[in-house]
Amino acid sequence: MTKAMSKHTSTQPVSVRPVLSLHVAASLGLLVTVLAVGCGPTPAASFRTNMVMAAKQRLTTDQERQVATIVEAMFGTPDEPVALPETGLDEAKLLLAAGPVRSDIVGRKNGLYREHCVHCHGITGDGLGPTAAFLNPYPRDYRPGVFKFKSTERADKPTHADLKRILHNGIVGTSMPSFALLGDAQVDALVEYVKYLSMRGETEIKLMQAYFELDDDAQGKLPETREFLVDEVLAGVAEKWKSAADAAIPVPEMPADIDLAASIAKGKELFHGDKANCVKCHGVTALGDGQANDYDDWNKAIVDFGREIAGSREQAAKTSTAEMSPDELAEHKATLAWLEKSRQVLDGDSLRPRTIPPRNLRQAVYRGGRRPLDLYYRIHAGIHGAPMPAAKGTIPPEEIWHIVNYIRSLPYEFDGELGADRSMVASGR
Amino acid sequence: MSIRSIHWPHAVACLLVAVTAVLLCFGALVTTFDAAMAVPDWPATYGHNMFLFPLSEWLHGPWDLFLEHGHRLLGAAAGMVALVLAAATFLQERRRIVRWLVVAAVALVIVQGLLGGARVLLDDRTIAKVHACTGPLFFAVAVAIATLTASGSKPSRRSDGEPAVRAGDANVLPAASACLVAASYIQLVAGAQLRHLDASLDPQTFRQIVVVHLVGAAVVAVLSAVSAAAAWRRPGPAQRGWATVVFLLIACQVLLGGAAWVANWGVPAVAQGTMLDAIAPTGPVVARSLQGSVVVTLHVVLGMAILAASVVLAIRAGAAPFALEAAKPQRAGAVA
Ligand code: HEC
Ligand code: HEC
Repeated sequence: MTKAMSKHTSTQPVSVRPVLSLHVAASLGLLVTVLAVGCGPTPAASFRTNMVMAAKQRLTTDQERQVATIVEAMFGTPDEPVALPETGLDEAKLLLAAGPVRSDIVGRKNGLYREHCVHCHGITGDGLGPTAAFLNPYPRDYRPGVFKFKSTERADKPTHADLKRILHNGIVGTSMPSFALLGDAQVDALVEYVKYLSMRGETEIKLMQAYFELDDDAQGKLPETREFLVDEVLAGVAEKWKSAADAAIPVPEMPADIDLAASIAKGKELFHGDKANCVKCHGVTALGDGQANDYDDWNKAIVDFGREIAGSREQAAKTSTAEMSPDELAEHKATLAWLEKSRQVLDGDSLRPRTIPPRNLRQAVYRGGRRPLDLYYRIHAGIHGAPMPAAKGTIPPEEIWHIVNYIRSLPYEFDGELGADRSMVASGR
Repeated sequence: MSIRSIHWPHAVACLLVAVTAVLLCFGALVTTFDAAMAVPDWPATYGHNMFLFPLSEWLHGPWDLFLEHGHRLLGAAAGMVALVLAAATFLQERRRIVRWLVVAAVALVIVQGLLGGARVLLDDRTIAKVHACTGPLFFAVAVAIATLTASGSKPSRRSDGEPAVRAGDANVLPAASACLVAASYIQLVAGAQLRHLDASLDPQTFRQIVVVHLVGAAVVAVLSAVSAAAAWRRPGPAQRGWATVVFLLIACQVLLGGAAWVANWGVPAVAQGTMLDAIAPTGPVVARSLQGSVVVTLHVVLGMAILAASVVLAIRAGAAPFALEAAKPQRAGAVA
């Protein structure tokens, strides 16, 4: 050791310095490498079974497996999607969107879904991507086949153009991004893939529900015939998608003979009136501070299932096994096993339910689009899957336009008066 | 200054740091744009020898190809500079620590190149994550070599004539800065896990990684504050500059991290209904937007800069094991 060295380290011997910075960093790097390599290569992507539905339907493991096998035969895997002709899906588009991210020989990007969507919507389209827990609202689970923002009647599917518009605009006020910077062909392929995942998910759900209707002599197995699987189940699912274009909401011209201020006043009256009763949820102030503790369908399904399990649990805990016949005892045990499994499924395959507050209508943030036409659709059909009800049937079409005009004036309404910026208020669409 | 008086190991190490910095920027961009598979083969590029791939196709081809092929070329360049550095070091440097670090650098750059190749050939995102962790490690080693070979690199406590430092204080800066090196590296490792999201990752695991990354951010911030405070409390200006730089970089990094999240994933549920809403963008999140891509890439690059700066700080503050060696004759082979 040199003299200088021994001098400046006199407070503590060099050899026992606690931290060796780079050594630490180096060994950490090594550790990471070893860990990652030890975990083995990334497993091939696979679709996940809808475990919540399986648990709800009390399927056995064999039945779960049967459904998984059938669904895979019909729809393929995330890397190799299959589109049976009955689905009406374009397989070339699906191939562009499916599979791992890579560029093909002409430099065109493949694997678009995994590049752009999977971290939120999940590989299965179940809304359980890695980031999901942090988002509010949660990313959409496509599997029930329910979409919120569309030009079709409440219970109908969105059109291809509806989904493209959503991808193009994103959903303001949520984490759903706009993909306006992607090429049209890419957005097109992604929309096709959303439909594919949705059909796949719906088919899976239908199959799981079908066990309930089986005859006794089916021995708990679904018939694996083309008539049942394709002509009945799959075609039924696909039919709704194919007929979406015919389900467009008829939109009448805005009444021309009424002036805007009068229309807004009329809309205000309707908004606060008993018939439309928008204030029930959106509040008299329209700040969205009415009834705000409701769930949308996806979250409600989890809440309800959770309650069902909790109820059965209580029941089971109270039941005395002392006087049970062997059969009853076996059934009781099966119930306990199902409860335990369901609890695990809820822990692992669902997110903590979140409420969907009614929109604050004074912010001019409209998730489904801000054109007057978009608002017309929203009010006419409500928001499918959400508590927001349809005005169709209770409010005549031309009156819906008054409400639209009133809604559009709300962000500019001060002290109950219409603000200055009239041109922002719809007079056409 | 004659050419023989240049301390070549230092000069080459500085070049290596520069090349690696650009290399890492390209690497970060490759991840941001998910461009790793823009070139399906390796080590060739679309069947061409990597170095002979037509320049016009590279520069005028798709953006993804530009990034990925550029990243490969820079990687090759870094590898070559590392070899030159090895030659220079073994000719002109006697210090064991420097020699070992150079050996480590060469080993790392080779491993890193192979990992990059494996990531492409196997199309494996796990390897991509490891590749993302070894990159900054190599950078840290290069920065350490450049710092140690600089003629001005003397542990501060060697500067004679300074008033004696109180015994308790003496080790705060070396210890805190050494911990900072480790912590900022762990942050890069955690960050890489957040960036390389593969389809099979579940929300629960992701949440845990986020927690690690946030706790890590707090630890790094505290360590940098402690380092800065220790540097300023020491008599004499030594290391104040570097300690302050690290501290300011980390302050920026925290803000960038928040911005990177919001730009890509919107306002997180926990921050909704707070003051953050007021400054959050009013439009939708835009995928692949310039701002979003720049912010998230900068966040990664700044993370690496923080690692590098804390390596410099740790070495200059005399954190072991450098304190041992730095005092030895600097230019073993140099001619006076
Ligand atoms: C950062 C997370 C995130 C990413 C990335 C993302 N989404 Fe979404 N997406 C969401 C959220 C959150 C919602 C739910 C919004 C709501 O319920 O109001 C949503 C909703 C949707 C909907 C339903 C719209 C409706 O009318 O109900 C579709 C379709 C959709 N996303 C498609 C996609 C596609 C395709 C991609 C990839 C190109 C994608 N998303 C990427 C978060 C994301
Ligand atoms: C039962 C409660 C309820 C009632 C009644 C109700 N809404 Fe809503 N409304 C909601 C909820 C909840 C949302 C948010 C749904 C979502 O984002 O999924 C919403 C959203 C909206 C939106 C935002 C659409 C968008 O694109 O962002 C508008 C506009 C709206 N409601 C108008 C009305 C009008 C007009 C009425 C009366 C005709 C009305 N609501 C009645 C619950 C209600």
